[in-house]
Amino acid sequence: MTTATASPLAARRRPPLTSRNSPARRGMRTALGILFVALMLFPVYWMVNASLAPGGNSLNTQLLPLNPDVSGYARAIADQGGNLITSLIVAVGAAVLSLVIATPCAYALAQFPIRGSSTVLFVVLIAQMIPGIVIANALYTAYNSLGLLNTILGLVLADATAGIPFSILIIRAFMESFPKEIVEAAHIDGCGHVRAFWSIVLPVSINSLITAGIFSFLFAWSDFLMALTLTTGQTIRPVTLGLYTYIGTNDTDWSSVMATAVIASVPAVLLMIIAQKYIAAGATGGAVK
Amino acid sequence: MTAQTTTPATVRRRRAHGSALVRYGFIAPAVLYLALFFGYPIVKNFTMSFQEYTSATFFTGEASFAGLDNYLAVLADPVFSKAMVNTVIFTVVSIAGQFVIGMALALFFRRSFPLSGFLRSMLLLPWLLPMIVSAAVWRWILEQDSGILNQALSTIGLISSPIPWLSSSDTALIAVVMVNIWLGIPFNVVLLYSGLQSIPEELYEAGEIDGATGWAAFRHLTLPLLRPVVSVVLLLGVIYTIKVIDLILGLTGGGPANATQTIATRSYEMSFIEFDFGQGAALGNILILIALLFSVIYLRANARSMKEGR
Amino acid sequence: MMSTHTSAPAGPVLRRRSLGALAAVPGLLSLAACGSSDGGSTSGDPSTLRVVDYYNTPADDKVIQETLESVGAEVGVTISREKVPGDQLIQKVLQMSSSKTLPDILMLDNPDLQEIASSGALAPLDDFGFDTSGISPEILAAGTYEGKVYGIAPTVNTIALFFNTAMLEEAAIEPPTTWEELTAAAKALTHDDVYGLAFSAIATYEGTWQFLPFMWSNGGDETDLATPEVAGAAQLWADLVADGSASKSVVNWGQGDAMDQFKAEKAAMVVNGPWNITGLQEDAPDLDWDVVIIPVPAAGDDSVAPLGGEVWTIPQTGDEEKQKKAAEVLQKFVSAENQLVMGAARNTIPSDIEAATTFAEEHPELATFVEQVSTARSRTGKLGTEWPATAKAIYTAFQQVLVDGTDPETAFADAAASLG
Repeated sequence: MTTATASPLAARRRPPLTSRNSPARRGMRTALGILFVALMLFPVYWMVNASLAPGGNSLNTQLLPLNPDVSGYARAIADQGGNLITSLIVAVGAAVLSLVIATPCAYALAQFPIRGSSTVLFVVLIAQMIPGIVIANALYTAYNSLGLLNTILGLVLADATAGIPFSILIIRAFMESFPKEIVEAAHIDGCGHVRAFWSIVLPVSINSLITAGIFSFLFAWSDFLMALTLTTGQTIRPVTLGLYTYIGTNDTDWSSVMATAVIASVPAVLLMIIAQKYIAAGATGGAVK
Repeated sequence: MTAQTTTPATVRRRRAHGSALVRYGFIAPAVLYLALFFGYPIVKNFTMSFQEYTSATFFTGEASFAGLDNYLAVLADPVFSKAMVNTVIFTVVSIAGQFVIGMALALFFRRSFPLSGFLRSMLLLPWLLPMIVSAAVWRWILEQDSGILNQALSTIGLISSPIPWLSSSDTALIAVVMVNIWLGIPFNVVLLYSGLQSIPEELYEAGEIDGATGWAAFRHLTLPLLRPVVSVVLLLGVIYTIKVIDLILGLTGGGPANATQTIATRSYEMSFIEFDFGQGAALGNILILIALLFSVIYLRANARSMKEGR
Repeated sequence: MMSTHTSAPAGPVLRRRSLGALAAVPGLLSLAACGSSDGGSTSGDPSTLRVVDYYNTPADDKVIQETLESVGAEVGVTISREKVPGDQLIQKVLQMSSSKTLPDILMLDNPDLQEIASSGALAPLDDFGFDTSGISPEILAAGTYEGKVYGIAPTVNTIALFFNTAMLEEAAIEPPTTWEELTAAAKALTHDDVYGLAFSAIATYEGTWQFLPFMWSNGGDETDLATPEVAGAAQLWADLVADGSASKSVVNWGQGDAMDQFKAEKAAMVVNGPWNITGLQEDAPDLDWDVVIIPVPAAGDDSVAPLGGEVWTIPQTGDEEKQKKAAEVLQKFVSAENQLVMGAARNTIPSDIEAATTFAEEHPELATFVEQVSTARSRTGKLGTEWPATAKAIYTAFQQVLVDGTDPETAFADAAASLG
């Protein structure tokens, strides 16, 4: 499934049907792949199993949910629809914002001889080490004065604190090996930095962008701290907070909690599948030639 | 900028001058964001560790200067050395496990086969679950008597009596590391896979002609080209792993009998259970110091490779 | 380093918003630098009171909302409620404290009251002429800091011993009343994959909470941990686990986990609280259960359990008008009638002594808890703000006993020494 980029060399990249790629071998790989992933995902399966168990805990659960109790799902769907949409909007927004801010910076740090680029890199690294609660506390005060509490924009900006430094580091690592010759060729042809970046660098770096975008999405999706701090729970609530409708101080309605987690994962997984299709093989290869 | 009928030197100077601004423009939004969102927290996190910071401080804003008292208190804490040892074990073993398995899976997925894209996306599922859910599920799986892991192990015949995964100080750390490796695999797989995909197929074909296949190809072709990605994955792995709290608190609360206390969990406890935020910040800064050490190594290696060129 | 000429595609748009936030930076720094500035910033509307609590789950949420709204209407204010997840409440309170956005009415878990009151963030209820007559003295003590009442609890809870009536009948055992009977019963009830007793000995305040009834009933006191009475309680726990009557996993179970074991019929008895009653009826409708007070060391001893539940406080917001209104609302909120309503809906016990008696008659399944509450003790009564450190020392000690096999006397002597 090597989706080729718009390069005339794409045709060459169809794998030759040597014994290494025979249908039998590929079939075996699929089988192995399913086995590995099944092992990795067993706890997720167990979670689904628990969500269907009466009482919601797995103490007496069988290996297969033979007597499914869907009341947890009914509750989850009724309560969490709006929260799910909020989560999706905030996570996608944070991912987009992270990419928009981080990608030019990553490119510059990787390719341009800018004074102070190691300082910027250093600050980016330090930013990753600060405990989230310290950032959340500082933002709370600022947001309160600016009226950004309980806003989607506020959450998007705050959740990007996880995505931006990360994306800068990752994309920069990928761009380090970007062939300078292409850009120089473009400069000779009269392209400025921005044109070169937009038309040449970005398409070729699509792998790193998608990867950084996926993780920025995931960081924002699973964020709890910023959502807790920067909202008061009455207007917008991401799913991570919405879960607490079922979590009391002493007793927890686990079947609803698990059902919510299952339902919330579905749109996110779909997004992941779509995004991963674009991670193309050997995107930089051949471009130099 | 089009070619103009001016001297080449002027053109170059103009281009260079304009270029400098444009180049700084690339990093400007990021720098602005970093300054706004991280500037104050970085400073505050640092200064808090030198202050006597209690819950009263939150209300009154007054915190007396405490010099190095917080650091001394933290180092003198009887649990500190245990927490430090646990942190090192937790981090080193977690990263080793996550990276090796992640790399193996990334290599496995390198050649496409039916469903490979779908399977790769499914691998990210653990990251889509809220931590409170993952911790609860793992606690049920690791439960001594009714947990499915012990049941499976005894059915296969690997163990004769149930292992007290989370309730014995011998096995608790192992259990927690296991779960952390599980959690870290998707991160490693996706990043390493992406890195692998950026290596052109032609290089491998050329290498084959020279007789380099399998392990040799990996060592001489893949690894060197993958080095920037590998080093950033390892570095981020360290930074994220030493900060882990939710997983440990969700699984064991730092117990049993402090068997799974790490510097990070101690920092949280100091701040929000014992309300001594100064000491909590001191512990946090010790963690940052450790992470900084790795960062400096990374930056040095990075600067060297940039000078060497490719 | 920051260029004013940027041609990066997203520059100008972002900069507009960023400049706005840029204004916040000096604001941020000055807010942190200056101490208590000009008073509160509760919501602009003068006839709306902000309330913060942690009642997220439907059962609690509904009754609290309705009660607050009805008393609010009586006083002529509207209520704006913010619900925070339970273990994040303190974090939120501190954030609101530092940004001067404390609510008009704040609910706190009773052992946290001391810490927050000591920070100066709460107002003594006396300032508003609050009437606390009729409430049991121990419950008032739970909301008292340095002699002044800061928080009032309309209902409280505690823990007692649940047991599976069918299992006890089968084994022909009477519900235990002394430690000897408890040990014997637990042993007799253990068979196959069923443990005789489940409790929570986790390394958090929850574990200490479960340890207290055994410690206190044995004569132990939180002010001096290095005594044989305290060690004796830990010995009881150690014996139960060593016997195999209680699972080793108790060191990792919260109260919810222990109750799950009981519901799944993997434990014949469990030490737990009345908040489980609704869950028991819903999740395990076929389970016949009953409750007795926690067994005592020797017949005739007092069974002393810890006092749990939440207190309601009035923070120092700087807005005296609102504080007075809040006090009015609170006074009506904790009236005896409301206590009965909230107690019935949440399965907690009214704090007013007379109301509690009425309550026991109306709800016989909670009668045991009413009895246990009448002799219950507040955790912070003697130690005040020193309680958290002691609670931690206690759970560290019994964890060492249960996990490492340390001798209880040594473990608690170490605990006492660590408190200095």
